[in-house]
Amino acid sequence: MENKLQEINKEAAINTSAALTKLIGQPVSVVISNPEVKDVKDLSPAIGAEEIVAGVYLPISGDVQGAALLIFPKETTFTLSDLLVRRPPGTTQELTELDKSALKEVGNIITGNYFTVLGNRLQAKIIENIPSFSFDMFGAILNDIIVKFAQKAEKAIVIEVEFIFKPTKLTGRFLLLFELGQIKAIMGGAL
Amino acid sequence: MDIDVKIGDVQVAKDPDNLSASGIGSCLAIILYDPKLKLGALAHAMLPTRHCEAGAAGRSNPNTRDTKYVDNAIDEILTKMLSRGAKKENIEAKLIGGANMFSAFKSDIGNENVLTAKEKLKKEGIKIIGEAVGGSQGRSVEFSVSSGIVTVKIKF
Repeated sequence: MENKLQEINKEAAINTSAALTKLIGQPVSVVISNPEVKDVKDLSPAIGAEEIVAGVYLPISGDVQGAALLIFPKETTFTLSDLLVRRPPGTTQELTELDKSALKEVGNIITGNYFTVLGNRLQAKIIENIPSFSFDMFGAILNDIIVKFAQKAEKAIVIEVEFIFKPTKLTGRFLLLFELGQIKAIMGGAL
Repeated sequence: MDIDVKIGDVQVAKDPDNLSASGIGSCLAIILYDPKLKLGALAHAMLPTRHCEAGAAGRSNPNTRDTKYVDNAIDEILTKMLSRGAKKENIEAKLIGGANMFSAFKSDIGNENVLTAKEKLKKEGIKIIGEAVGGSQGRSVEFSVSSGIVTVKIKF
């Protein structure tokens, strides 16, 4: 099951990086982790708990329940905001409502592209819901997602994708959690 | 010694140790302290009570404490402190966390964590002497067991 999901995940991530490249007008590459089954409370991507990040959270519904979380470290967030809102590089020092809205739109585009591939290949209905934004400590943002997920299930299939904005080497992360039993049922049907 | 308390864990420590928990969102850090003994505990709980977790409830053994739940975590740290000589009447509590980081979504889980802790501590006769709870901001906490001082960090 993991191999099949890995292959679909790779295709989805590449499709998404192409959309992101088009959106910001700069090349974006991806580093894709293998989908892993994890206890949600033990999730700990390689970002410091107190590091300030922008987090865009999109709950997932449809045939599979889950969560999509897009994380941009502070520096990436400000650089992306300059690009998205067409300001000279280095202008953004704090986020306006327009910046937050543009970053949420990035969340929509990433998840939309990702789930188009994932949904088509798995023949499943995967719906991303309206995004919500937070600019705070990474640990607290992740903590919130973990708690929301843990209300439903202890274990999740975890997919991590790292985006690298090539000219600046700045990075962002996309974290996907799917409820294990549901994804197994879907994968079983697709294989 | 500095002890970092992970999500779902509890730790009891004595002077001169420090207890900490980083990046608390809707989780709740429950700190108990006996100033006479200089004995303290920190619980980093996720969810209010076992019954609230519909999906995983059936898989837990109700006779075993699971410290990811606020009520079980309080039972656990209280038992540990009392077994090390603390007296209930001397113990003071502080609560940190219970936020809702994504305020666009209506979620009561942080608030429920706080209410469950308050109810449980009241039932146990433990007074709450400080709290930094609610809102939509993440927090980190450091607790000096030698002084009883709790430092809460937020983003500015």
